[in-house]
Amino acid sequence: MLAYLCAIGIVALIYCLLALGLNLQFGLTRLVNFGVVAFFAVGAYTSGLLSLQGLPLPACFIAAGVLSGLLALPIGLLSLRLRDDYLAIVTLGFSEAVRITIQQESWLTHGVQGLPGLPKLFAAWGPGVSDTAIFAVLACIVGLVCWGTVRLTRSPFGRLLKAIGDDEAALSALGKDPARFKVQVFMLGAALAGVAGAFYAHFITFITPEQFIPLITFYVWMGLVMGGSGSVRGAMFGSLLLMVFLEGSRFAKDWVPGVSEVGMASLRLAAVGLALILVTLYRPNGLFGGPSK
Amino acid sequence: MSMLQVEAVTRLFGGFKAVDGVSLQLADREILGIAGTNGAGKSTLFAAIAGQQPANAGRIAFAGQDITRMPPYRRARLGLVRTFQIPREFKSLTVHENLMAAAANPQGERLLNAFFQTRGLREHEAQLAAKADGILAFLNLARVRDVPAGGLSGGQKKLVELGRVLMLDPRCILLDEPFAGVNPVLIDEICERVRALQGRGIAFIVIEHHLQALKALSHRMIVMDRGRILAEGDPHTVLDDPRVQEAYMGGVV
Amino acid sequence: MTWIDFANLLINGLIEGLVVALPALAMTLVMGVNRFPNAATGDLMTTGAYAAVAVQLLGGVPLWLAAIASVAVTAVVSAGSYQLIFRKLAGRPMVASMLAAIGLGFLLRSLISFFAGHDQRTFEMPLVRAWNFGGIRILPTDLLIAAIAAACLAVVFVLIYRTSFGRQLRAVADSADLARASGIRAGGLMLCLWLLVGALSSIGGVLLGMKAIVTPEMGWESLIPAFAAMVLGGIGSPVGAVLGALVLCVVQELSVPLLGPSYKLVLSFVVLALVLLLRPAGIMGRVQLVR
Repeated sequence: MLAYLCAIGIVALIYCLLALGLNLQFGLTRLVNFGVVAFFAVGAYTSGLLSLQGLPLPACFIAAGVLSGLLALPIGLLSLRLRDDYLAIVTLGFSEAVRITIQQESWLTHGVQGLPGLPKLFAAWGPGVSDTAIFAVLACIVGLVCWGTVRLTRSPFGRLLKAIGDDEAALSALGKDPARFKVQVFMLGAALAGVAGAFYAHFITFITPEQFIPLITFYVWMGLVMGGSGSVRGAMFGSLLLMVFLEGSRFAKDWVPGVSEVGMASLRLAAVGLALILVTLYRPNGLFGGPSK
Repeated sequence: MSMLQVEAVTRLFGGFKAVDGVSLQLADREILGIAGTNGAGKSTLFAAIAGQQPANAGRIAFAGQDITRMPPYRRARLGLVRTFQIPREFKSLTVHENLMAAAANPQGERLLNAFFQTRGLREHEAQLAAKADGILAFLNLARVRDVPAGGLSGGQKKLVELGRVLMLDPRCILLDEPFAGVNPVLIDEICERVRALQGRGIAFIVIEHHLQALKALSHRMIVMDRGRILAEGDPHTVLDDPRVQEAYMGGVV
Repeated sequence: MTWIDFANLLINGLIEGLVVALPALAMTLVMGVNRFPNAATGDLMTTGAYAAVAVQLLGGVPLWLAAIASVAVTAVVSAGSYQLIFRKLAGRPMVASMLAAIGLGFLLRSLISFFAGHDQRTFEMPLVRAWNFGGIRILPTDLLIAAIAAACLAVVFVLIYRTSFGRQLRAVADSADLARASGIRAGGLMLCLWLLVGALSSIGGVLLGMKAIVTPEMGWESLIPAFAAMVLGGIGSPVGAVLGALVLCVVQELSVPLLGPSYKLVLSFVVLALVLLLRPAGIMGRVQLVR
């Protein structure tokens, strides 16, 4: 039981990291990033591939964050020229392009077969203990990122992000070019997603391109909107709700007779779709919450 | 040398000339009023001068520099700032934070400095905060210092916009309908503030429909109609110009 | 690459382009009038295709009859989505509509895969051999597909440019306020638009299913290309959507010898990004504020 809770705790914390990254991008700065999973994937694969080359894990994790952050640079630059809706579709397209590229370039990524046998974090400590250790480390990191986000939000930089999110043109009329800040926050959020990806890779130890589909992006969005975007508390709470939903649906299979695993996956997708619709209709504050904390 | 020089500026939307060959000059410390019917192109002219909608033809010079093609943020840095017809306050920031966001603070606003605040940065931030408080006091907004700007009245929002541009120590402020939707008592207050600021050396161009207030405030006035300048001159006489009367279709001027 | 290969790729690209033109047109209409990209368009295509499959399976009817039924079903789904969802989100920032559209897409796709499974399906069509003109191969079904697509496009263009419905639509696209002020009943107009959009998507889905296979992912996979086509052609321009689709699909086909078939979507994305960077107005668009 404890092992099970530990496992879902780890997944919850991974989603927390993703949500915190998206919160910086959308919650504060109103950058509509529909391509979160792209940076998650790049982080996972970067760390995975480097670890298979023998690089020590901490270095792999750092590389994952850095590479994901760098990948966000061209997208960030592109975002300067794009309005909300175009940015959304472009980032969505980007995430699919990344997934397909990972799938195709099998000389590097082993394509659809994926990367099995990735070194698990703290594997040397034995199965039960290693999960607990991962949870502990991840919890510390998430805690650090939370602290960092709050610090950032209250800083002059954070003030500017909020101003950009509120009214970019007005800020421009006050002598400040939003460009640099938007690119930076895009990269920062992407780096967080990359680190989350590394944790994911070295927890489940087997990654394939199929795991990095847009659905993941919208899990994160759903969590953020349910919890209330714009605040760290909201991001955390939303991730928790998301985990309850995801895990709960796993058990629901036992209650719903005659539904296969695959069928359950479809129903879960349906629930996500319905949730997205309902949340946007009936919880507008989820998307556009009050002043950030 | 004039502070602002606008030469034959034209701004097109598709084939439609919102601003059609407008020329004007603004002298140092002058308050220039712009009146005109709806759709005359007044706000579009501001957008051309401030850069949100750059001119398609013509030339604009500010303090001797050609700014015709400059992006808005660079024009603001030169000291040419504007407010908006419908206030564009930063809703998720408090009034004080609105002003702080406007203040030039390149070092403090760096990402890394969010985590590592040296003493110098802290002092600088405190200085800016004090300046903001001073401006809020000047604008009689001190009471709402920590209120989220989205919750203010229309008139207060306009004052916040004015406060924001004042943080930049501007040389020229374009005020777009500062009195619209503002109660009459506040209008007098705003006029007082504008005169005080003009006394301190800031030039103004003011778009307004409140012709009485505009007449009293301006040193000189321009009337626009359908993208062009109809008449120009002394505020108290320019509105009697028969062309102006005709444009306003017999309305009380 | 020989001249013959080039011709084959070109023809295939044009045919595919005509099919992609349908959802691209659907998207550009919604974009112009409701001002948001309807990410559910792809899954509406899938809905159309599966509705036709279902009708064929259950009713044993020829494909054309099943297609008509599927048009009706999808049109209703589309109009329903407007009434229940997008109409209510009209005043809100665009992100809300986009998220809801994504959610709707998920919902449609998941319900389809739940009831119909993930297996590939095909329509029951007579098997015909390709015509061969000295190396240039044309499938008669492909020609039929192209003809149907072209006919649909023609009908829609007549609707847009020669009827009062189309006039009102264009007025609302130009300025919602202006249209309201001149007394156009926006409500009924919107409903008709979304019925049309559903019909277009449905036909696109059926044609796509005829050309290739029917899977729950088929529409989603066409979303980015349709969007890229719309942007390439110029947002809000119906002619642009068709041109953009044709150009994009031809380019995609011509890229296959170089990049392989799997990179088509990546190419769509690259085209999309390039157009938005270099010429956001697209081929036919007015200088639409992309920024």
